[in-house]
Amino acid sequence: MSEKIPAKIRLRSIVDKVYQNAWDAKERGEPVGWSSSKFPAEIAEALGLAVCYPENQAAAISAKHGGQRMCEHAEALGYDNDICGYARISMAYAAGFEAEEKAMPQPDFLLCCNNICNCMTKWYENIARMHDIPLVMIDVPYNNTVEVGDDYVQYIRGQFDDAIKQLEEISGRKMNEKKFEEVCANSNRTAKAWLKVCSYLQYKPSPFAGFDLFNHMAVVVTARCKLESALAFEALAEELQENVKNNHSTWKYEEKHRIMFEGIPCWPQLQPLFKPLKENGMNTTAVVYAPAFGFAYSNLDELMKAYCKAPNSVCLETGVDWREGICRENKVDGILVHYNRSCKPWSGYMPEMERRFRKDLGVPVVSFDGDQADPRNFSEAQYNTRVEGLYEVMEEYKAKKEAK
Amino acid sequence: MSEIFTMGIDVGSTSSKCIILKNGKEIVSKSMIPVGAGTSGPRRVVEAVLRESKLSIEDLSYILATGYGRHMMDWVHSEMSELSCHAKAAYFLYPNVRTVIDIGGQDAKVLRISPQGMLTNFAMNDKCAAGTGRFLDVMARVIEVEVDDLGVLSAQSTNVINISSTCTVFAESEVISQLAQNTHINDIVRGIHRSVAGRVAGLAKRVGVEDDVVMTGGVAKNNGVVVALEEELYKKIHVSPLAQYAGALGAALYAFDKRES
Amino acid sequence: MSNIQTLLSAFDAIAKNPKKQLDDYISQGKKAIGCFPYYVPEELVYASGMVPFGVWGKTGGKINLAKEYFAAFYCTIAQLNLEMGLDGTLDGLSGVIAPSICDTLRPFTQNFRVACPDIPFMFLAHPQNRKKEYGVKFTEQQYNKIKIKLEEISGIKITNDNLNEAIKIYNENRKARRRFIELAGQYPHIITATSRSVVLKSAFFMLKDEHTKMLNELNGLIEASPIEPWKGKKVVTSGIVLDSPSLLKIFDDNQLAIVADDMAHESRAIRVDVQENTNHPMQALAEQFGNQDYDTLLYDPELNKRPGYLVEKVKKSQADGVVIMIMQFCDPEEIEFPSLKKGLEEAGIPYIKIGMDQQMTNFGQAQTSLQAFADVLSTL
Repeated sequence: MSEKIPAKIRLRSIVDKVYQNAWDAKERGEPVGWSSSKFPAEIAEALGLAVCYPENQAAAISAKHGGQRMCEHAEALGYDNDICGYARISMAYAAGFEAEEKAMPQPDFLLCCNNICNCMTKWYENIARMHDIPLVMIDVPYNNTVEVGDDYVQYIRGQFDDAIKQLEEISGRKMNEKKFEEVCANSNRTAKAWLKVCSYLQYKPSPFAGFDLFNHMAVVVTARCKLESALAFEALAEELQENVKNNHSTWKYEEKHRIMFEGIPCWPQLQPLFKPLKENGMNTTAVVYAPAFGFAYSNLDELMKAYCKAPNSVCLETGVDWREGICRENKVDGILVHYNRSCKPWSGYMPEMERRFRKDLGVPVVSFDGDQADPRNFSEAQYNTRVEGLYEVMEEYKAKKEAK
Repeated sequence: MSEIFTMGIDVGSTSSKCIILKNGKEIVSKSMIPVGAGTSGPRRVVEAVLRESKLSIEDLSYILATGYGRHMMDWVHSEMSELSCHAKAAYFLYPNVRTVIDIGGQDAKVLRISPQGMLTNFAMNDKCAAGTGRFLDVMARVIEVEVDDLGVLSAQSTNVINISSTCTVFAESEVISQLAQNTHINDIVRGIHRSVAGRVAGLAKRVGVEDDVVMTGGVAKNNGVVVALEEELYKKIHVSPLAQYAGALGAALYAFDKRES
Repeated sequence: MSNIQTLLSAFDAIAKNPKKQLDDYISQGKKAIGCFPYYVPEELVYASGMVPFGVWGKTGGKINLAKEYFAAFYCTIAQLNLEMGLDGTLDGLSGVIAPSICDTLRPFTQNFRVACPDIPFMFLAHPQNRKKEYGVKFTEQQYNKIKIKLEEISGIKITNDNLNEAIKIYNENRKARRRFIELAGQYPHIITATSRSVVLKSAFFMLKDEHTKMLNELNGLIEASPIEPWKGKKVVTSGIVLDSPSLLKIFDDNQLAIVADDMAHESRAIRVDVQENTNHPMQALAEQFGNQDYDTLLYDPELNKRPGYLVEKVKKSQADGVVIMIMQFCDPEEIEFPSLKKGLEEAGIPYIKIGMDQQMTNFGQAQTSLQAFADVLSTL
């Protein structure tokens, strides 16, 4: 093939392939796993096990407006509407409620890592009960310090080794050292390429719409151990390099302002979310997923440490540091914070983080209420007013700066 | 057999209802005053039924209070929860009832009834006002129509729109933005009804829905909500003309039982 | 009987006025350490010569200052704990131990640490894979971090000897509390739901040897009383905290006796003893956490042990039904509700779910629910 396929298309097809792969495995009678987004994917990949990702599925269902329906099914089963929307959607799907928006095979085993939240633990337990299937649990306790101590490394290592044994049994295959190293190398390469892609947001104007990262993230979540992911991100980085050279961008509007979008997007309302941003020329040039998923390691201990660092498992100081780092690098002049009803750990730090952003970065910060999956917790009117407010303050700051 | 009169008073959050029953079977008089607990409503409603029936308090064998403000009625013989009373009344009106949906001013309740008419299980809404009469009141005010007119308006709706917000404040802004987009008021009202029905249906599914389904409580006279609930549950819903009086009727029925024992 | 009432009043006074209790200890020259929920190894605090002081929110409290740190959709226990840190209620404490086992406690630990910088802060991470060797070791390592800080605060070394002694005292107290819970179930005409709660709650504000002494006396007096038939119904409660006097009064008014419980603040906190007189008491403490089970907050490696456990509890205590008190915004309790519901339904046990939070003072809906539930139970 000589014609160059755009990286965007390549990335999308990688995710499609992950799910196709799972369907094919199911067809062949092989076990299919469901995995939390930051479970050490290296193990299943090295053992050649097919895995799907419920968070990614729930986001896709929500974006295609199936979130409310699935949430209501879960509520009818007795799950309270305060529970994370992804969890509700996923449990409803596991309980047999179909979702044409994004179908995936039902699980034969589960891979749960609670580094992102403890809700994950109970969510996966519930699914394991529904299907009476094994649950592989890697527990990453919350960390109060910037450094990850040896106690954490040893504890996670113990679980990691157990997980390998459990998955060897499930797959009926032995772990191949060489294959494992190869997978780890891919994972590292993907992370590096991902960070490289993210780094292009530092250019002014940015060669792409930062909101795209929320879509590309699906690849980092579902396929970071695959070589093709690394290659696709590298290709994307090249495209962005070209864009910089040619002063071109996928952000099709004026770039009057550059903001950080804090939190998971409201998938059911992507259009309403994007609308006032594009109308006011506000490009998103910082999202915390950039540092959160850009983790590299060179040995097993470092791998354990890498999995200790997820948005809701790190201490306040690390969380602030990640965000302020990308805000500075990517020259952000305003921050839009999503108070996500679905995500208690995440939203629970935000008031204090907001104060620190204002103080440390000297930029305006505005928040709005919403939900990553349940459309019933979002008000377009409130959102628009908040975004306009942010825009006006940013304009004022800009005028003051220029007057100096 | 001599005539035995019992009285049931339902002191709700937004209205007071009272019924006098003869021999545990026949309604002698009934009345409703649109103010509830902590107001002059309970006193006035009792006066009204006595006047209508030409009876005095001394003629009554037993008086039982129910509803949100039942504890304030220190002069009655006893009180019972409105859940038990609604179950009792629904069974009296519809002997085949297995599920009762009662949407009142503050609460929405779903009751399961045994073939013998006993309350066996129930669920109530959480703190949130969505799915209650209160929600309809707020929305009616936003669109400047009378609550009593909501049913008629939604029957004329031609388009399905969604009012999805769980939060009443957010739902209000959703409704306002529909108004701003010139969405027809009838369609908005239907959307509001679908929203209430969605919440209550969730509650109903949690305790299980079995035929016959009977709706009681003040909101039952809003046919728009009844239709929306039927659509959500795929069930026929029976509504008695006495739906609003179910609490008071159940109380009067219990009063008759208690008098006998 | 009068002795029973005197003792109950003493427990009541302590449960109702923790601040006075704290001030008394401080005036005796003692230091106190605040212990937030859940599973704080209080034995360490006791061994270091300090008073472990349970801080589980504030029933009937108002959230005001904590709003600067939390949006509205958070558990009120966590919010009120922070509120008390901010409004000075916790000022007498020489430190706090803050576990991080649920999704609200994660940000709570961070918010408290930065919002109340004057209160020495001890972070505690519990492992969910707590049973295997590496889990026990991790717990022990975390407890050791706490130990070092406690020693700094008190100036007293925690030795195997004083820790073993603390373990013994705690086992005795757990035993006395478990016995009291049984007795309360057998003598509901003596121990109301309200007095049951104050007896159990007061333990959080007392040195456990003092509490055990009073409680053993009470238990003895109850045991010596004649058992009377109970006209009302018997229930098992499940949830996080149930200590609101107005809520408990509804149980009493409707003659619903609490004959056993699955509350985090009551039975879940005293279910498991620690091995005594070992050469490795720290490990024994860590193993105790490893042996904790049947809790919505904890990962269950066997996946579904909790419903069966509750069904057994109901049968053993001859309860008529279960009252599930759902603490608003408590994810673990909410997400485990459907499994519990299924287990109870399969066993044919009536239950009722009641939503509540610590800020509530008006329990109209709970009143209606409990009254109707009592009706339902009496028709079965």
